[in-house]
Amino acid sequence: MQNWLKGAVIALVSAAATLGISQMMRGQEAPAPDTAVVRTADGKPDLNGIWQAVGSAHWNLQDHQARMGPVLELGAVLAVPAGLSVVEGNEIPYQPWAAARQRENYENWLSRDPEVKCYLPGLPRATYMPYPFQILQTANNDILMAYEYASASRIIHMGAVEPPPIDTWMGQSGGHWEGDTLVVDVTGFNDQTWFDRAGNFHSESLHIVERFTPVSPDVLDYQVTLEDSKVFTRPWKIQMPLYRRQDTGAQLLEFKCVEFVEELMYGDLRKKTGEETPFSAARLRWP
Amino acid sequence: MRNRRFMLVALAALVTAAALVAAAGQEQNAPANTAEPAQDWTPPRTPDGQPDLQGTWTNYTSTPFEVLDESDTPAFYSGDLDGTGKGTGPSSFSNDVSDRELTKMTSLVVDPSNGRVPIMPWAEERRNYKLEHVQDDWVNHTPWERCITRGVPGGLFPAGYGSGYQIMQSPGYVAIIYEMIHEARIIPLDGRPHIGSSIRLWNGDSRGHWEGNTLVVDITGYNDKGSVATNVATQRVRSIPQSEALHVVERFTRIDENTIDYEVVVDDPEVFTSPWTVAMPLHLEPDYRLFEYACHEGNHAVPNTLSAGRARDQAAQAAGPQ
Repeated sequence: MQNWLKGAVIALVSAAATLGISQMMRGQEAPAPDTAVVRTADGKPDLNGIWQAVGSAHWNLQDHQARMGPVLELGAVLAVPAGLSVVEGNEIPYQPWAAARQRENYENWLSRDPEVKCYLPGLPRATYMPYPFQILQTANNDILMAYEYASASRIIHMGAVEPPPIDTWMGQSGGHWEGDTLVVDVTGFNDQTWFDRAGNFHSESLHIVERFTPVSPDVLDYQVTLEDSKVFTRPWKIQMPLYRRQDTGAQLLEFKCVEFVEELMYGDLRKKTGEETPFSAARLRWP
Repeated sequence: MRNRRFMLVALAALVTAAALVAAAGQEQNAPANTAEPAQDWTPPRTPDGQPDLQGTWTNYTSTPFEVLDESDTPAFYSGDLDGTGKGTGPSSFSNDVSDRELTKMTSLVVDPSNGRVPIMPWAEERRNYKLEHVQDDWVNHTPWERCITRGVPGGLFPAGYGSGYQIMQSPGYVAIIYEMIHEARIIPLDGRPHIGSSIRLWNGDSRGHWEGNTLVVDITGYNDKGSVATNVATQRVRSIPQSEALHVVERFTRIDENTIDYEVVVDDPEVFTSPWTVAMPLHLEPDYRLFEYACHEGNHAVPNTLSAGRARDQAAQAAGPQ
C-alpha cells in the first residue's frame, strides 16, 4: 500500500520534473543531426559500437588544474591531469550543507570514493570513466550499455517502465527516441555513488535525464540534466562528446577490479604465514 | 505494449500446458538435448536474420549436477565442514518461477555416460585444500564468493537464486546478461580470431557463430585463477581449478517458443582426464525481471569468514601450546 503510494508520488514528481527539465532544455539547441548518421534497419540512429569519453571529467566535472597524485612514488604517472569543466556554467548548485560535504569528500577522497573499492559506478559516472563501454541496440527494443569497469551494465527499457521497485547502484533506465536523440530517464538510485573523483555526490533522490545524439558516425553528443532536491538548489547540466573506439578488433576486456582491492579491503584479516612480501610502502599524500 | 506482453504470457502458458500433456507419458531419463524439436516450429528471426534467442530465461532445475557416488561427501563440497548438511544441499526445484513442473533427470552431466565429471586427483586435492582453508585467505574462496564471477560456463549452471539471464541480439553480436553478480557477456559473431594468448581472462574469450539454428560459442584464453563451477549445486565440481588450457564449446538451440537447449563441452586436459558435457534447458520467463545483484558492494561473507579464522587463531594462541 505504502509502496504503491510512494511509487505513484515518485511517478508524479518524475513526470513533473521531466516536463520542467524538457522545458528548460528546449531553449538550448541540440547539435544539428548529421545527415550521414548511420541508421538501423528500422530507421533509428545506430548507436551500436564501443564508445569512450576522452578528457578528465572522471577526475573532476568542474574546471581543475593539474596536480600531484596521491602516491608519492608514482610521481608523474598517476598525477591528476587538468581539465575544463563539463558542467554548464561550471557551478554545481549545491545547498550549503552539501557544498560542505563535497569539500569533505574531496579531502577524504581515498577513504570515501566508492571507485577506490571497485564498487559499481552509478550514473552518469559510468559513461565518462576512463574505460570503454559498449552499446548493443536491439531492433525496436531494449538497449544494453555494458561498461568495462567492474563488469557494470544497464539495460535501458524502451517505452513505459514501472516505478523502480528498489534503490540500486545503477538505477533504473527507461528510454525513448526524440528524433535522432536517445533520451534516457534514470531514477531508483541509492545514495552510495559519486559523480567523479572530486567528491561530487548526490542522494537517493537523484533523477537524471541523459540525451545521446549522434553528430557524426563516430561521435555522440552526451548531455545530462541532473536533479536532486535534497542536495542541489536547481537542476544542472553536463555535456561532453563520446567517441567511437576505432581500434582494430576493439572489444570490451575484463576489468574485474575486485581482485585488485581485496588486499586493501581484507588484507588485515588474512592469515599471516611469515613469508609475505611487504605490500607497497608507497606513501599517500592527499589532498 | 502491455497487451502484447499479456498475449505472450497467455501463449507461453498454452504452449507449456501442451508440452506438459505431451511429456506426461514420456520416459524421464532422456537428456534435454535429445528432445525432439516440434516439427512445425521454426524459430523467429531477428531483422538481420539471426535465429532469435532474445528474452529473459531461467535455469531452475530439479536435476542433480552429477550422479552421486558412495564415496562422495556432499556436506564437505558445500563448505559445511561439520557435515550437518542443513541448508547447504544441492539446489533442487520441482517447479520453476512460472510454476511449470520441471523434468527430473539423472544428472546434468550427460557425458561421460556414468554422469560423473572425470576430475584428476591433483585437482580434487587442490579443491579439498581450498575448501578447508577458506578462513586463511580470500583466494581459497570460489570466485563467486569473492564476487568476481561465476565463470563461463559456470555462470549458466543452476544456482538456486539470481537465476535470470537476458539474451539480447544486434547485428554481429549476441549478449547474455547474467543476473548473478551482474555480467554482460558480449559474444562477437563476425569470425574475428581469438585475442592474443598473453591476455588471460576469468571468463575466457568468446567467439560465436551460427550452425543452422544453433549458436555455437568457442571460448579460450582463460586464466588459471577461476573455476568451472562455483555453486554448491555443482557438488564435487565446485571449486575445482581451471587451467589456461581450458577450452569450452557451448551450443544454444531454441527448440520451441519457451525452451533453449543448452549444451556445453568442457575440455581441460590439465584438470580432467577427458572432455565432459552438460546438457540442460533454459526456460523463457517473460515476466521475470533481472534485479541488480551488487555482490561485492555487500560482500560480508569473505571478511566475516576471515575474521572468524583470525579469532580462532587468537583463541588457540591464548590457550597456549597443546
